[in-house]
Amino acid sequence: MEKILNQEKLREWVDMLDDCEVYAPAFADSVWNYARVEAGTDIDLSHTNTIGSVKEFVFPQREVFFRFEKKDGVPVLTATLPDPKPTVVFGVRPCDGRGMPRNDTVFNKEFEDPYYWARRDKLTLVGLACNQPHSPNCFCQSVGGSPHSEDGLDILMTDLGDRFHVKGITVKGVEAMERGRDAFGAVRDGDQAETEKVHDTSRSHPQRPLGNLDAIPEAIRESFDSPLWADMAQHCIGCGICTFLCPTCHCFDINDEVISPTTGEGERVRTWDNCQFPDFTMHTSGHNPRADLGSRLRQRVSHKFLYFVENHKTQQCTGCGRCITECPVGIDIVAVLERVSQS
Amino acid sequence: MVNVEEIRDYAANLLGKGEVKSVLGFRRGSASAFAEPCTITDVGEAASLVWDPTCLNNLTLYLVKDHKQQAAAKTPDNRPVGIVAKGCDSRAIGVLLQENYFKREDVVVIGVSCEGTGVVDPRKLSAKLKGRTASRVSFYGADGINVRVYGEETETVIPAQEVLADRCLECRAAIPTLNDIVFGEAVGAREFDEPFHAAKAAESLSADERWATWEHHFDRCLRCFACRAVCPMCYCPECVVDSTTFVVTLGTSAEEKANRIRWCERSANTSESAVYHLTRAIHLAGRCIDCGECERVCPVNIPLRLLNTKLEKEAFEMFEYQAGHDIEQASLLSSFRDEDPNSFIR
Repeated sequence: MEKILNQEKLREWVDMLDDCEVYAPAFADSVWNYARVEAGTDIDLSHTNTIGSVKEFVFPQREVFFRFEKKDGVPVLTATLPDPKPTVVFGVRPCDGRGMPRNDTVFNKEFEDPYYWARRDKLTLVGLACNQPHSPNCFCQSVGGSPHSEDGLDILMTDLGDRFHVKGITVKGVEAMERGRDAFGAVRDGDQAETEKVHDTSRSHPQRPLGNLDAIPEAIRESFDSPLWADMAQHCIGCGICTFLCPTCHCFDINDEVISPTTGEGERVRTWDNCQFPDFTMHTSGHNPRADLGSRLRQRVSHKFLYFVENHKTQQCTGCGRCITECPVGIDIVAVLERVSQS
Repeated sequence: MVNVEEIRDYAANLLGKGEVKSVLGFRRGSASAFAEPCTITDVGEAASLVWDPTCLNNLTLYLVKDHKQQAAAKTPDNRPVGIVAKGCDSRAIGVLLQENYFKREDVVVIGVSCEGTGVVDPRKLSAKLKGRTASRVSFYGADGINVRVYGEETETVIPAQEVLADRCLECRAAIPTLNDIVFGEAVGAREFDEPFHAAKAAESLSADERWATWEHHFDRCLRCFACRAVCPMCYCPECVVDSTTFVVTLGTSAEEKANRIRWCERSANTSESAVYHLTRAIHLAGRCIDCGECERVCPVNIPLRLLNTKLEKEAFEMFEYQAGHDIEQASLLSSFRDEDPNSFIR
């Protein structure tokens, strides 16, 4: 389904999704991030990449698996499977959209993760094509994506200035568009050509090049023992920014959080974990197989460009560039891959 | 004006004569308009050093890192390290010397005066550019900063005062007082703002208003721990947030495992994040030299500097103490004077 939505009708459409939780990018505290849209308020789609990615809607930083307590000396468990309202997220950039099928694979590979899928099944992603890269660190095309990729999105909107070209991609997406009824107009002569022109122009903007993508896994494999990794991680501070902001990083930790030791009351929770943290691979024996920052940087890059390719035939990186832009010390995954490829 | 060639020559000379094993400085990065830290060990690499208000990092962190690496190395290289240091960075070195973390002869301080300007605050720049990424930032003295935004041909001129870091606007000691050499003119203060003005403004709010503010910020915290990781004063071998030394042996009981001390849960929620940030702030009381790195690196822009400057203000007002200003002085927490106020132990 393809429709035209005039800019001023956007709010009308959003208001008609009133039985859903609607999120859209908002600029607050000097960053763009997704925020709940209250009925009757305008949404601003002039955003760059949001700081957080849409993975947070399906894989929240904290997920309660179940609650436990002791009643008359007997342990009692209470299930906490989420049952969210249908959720629609506006303004999803195509790089983040491409992250979703990768996350789906992970949370469905050997075991269908019920917490993930309870949220995922009710999530509709309304993408917004990039008319130009937002940042000098964008490299979606270098990892097989595009500024108007439909992969992982339910709807793709393209900004044509005074109006949006809106394409329903999945059943969920078409349904969300149908809810907007009269807000939409028909695609007229020239709209299609204009949309294609915008897409062509956006593709022509230069992005960070990655050279021969297919040769990267072998280059990483060969450089496993290279001193390059320690050199490239020399200024790494081992914080979690790169992975926490990544639309595809999905490692987690599970802990019991005891609220009351007397009643044995507490929660088993899953929280994000991070391969750059010192205790990520810490063994209970006290041995840490990835004790230094070089081996941790190698792990992050290898997971995205070697192991994931071996296991799932695709990179686990969509070129959003957040890990580059937000790194406090300038570690740049594109530059890292260039050096590994040339070594 | 600081002549960067002089810094390069000095660094090359230090390395050439073998007086240092490496020089910590800044080079142009591939990732953004801001400079990135570099460690040069070769005379030829000195040519890549840069100096301008995009040199944000406090490189003192890497002295700490080197110290830890040498302590763990089988054959440590204990030759001194050269470091390019702004006024605030030199105070960080001062605190580490006061705390006997390393010795004065372990470091050659290549001081650089900010000449009454300072460094750019990426958060303020982001607010001006509504999140867009600057591809180049150039600086024309006190009049303005020229910013080239990615994907746009035009250059935006922003008055320097509007995008300089708050700490620089308040700075009264832009000259590195602890130094082996200083480049640049001895302009000590910019005096756009009163010292501690943000802390004073925050104090005028009610307790409820203050809590509402911090609740908003702690709720947003991602617990990436970049604020801790970037801080040169956060050098504990083990931090309260990640337990890396709890060793489990065959004799460790389930109870011992369950009851091991966890100061702070991993959950990123208001209470746990508050515990983390307040623990860190209190550990920095009387030690923080206001380099602003914690605030700079925060990906969601939590105003962390405010927490630390509040404690800095307390230290100054109650004990006339300024961290890192005088390395001969005993550190605040390890010293006592008869005239110290003692209301807290009544």
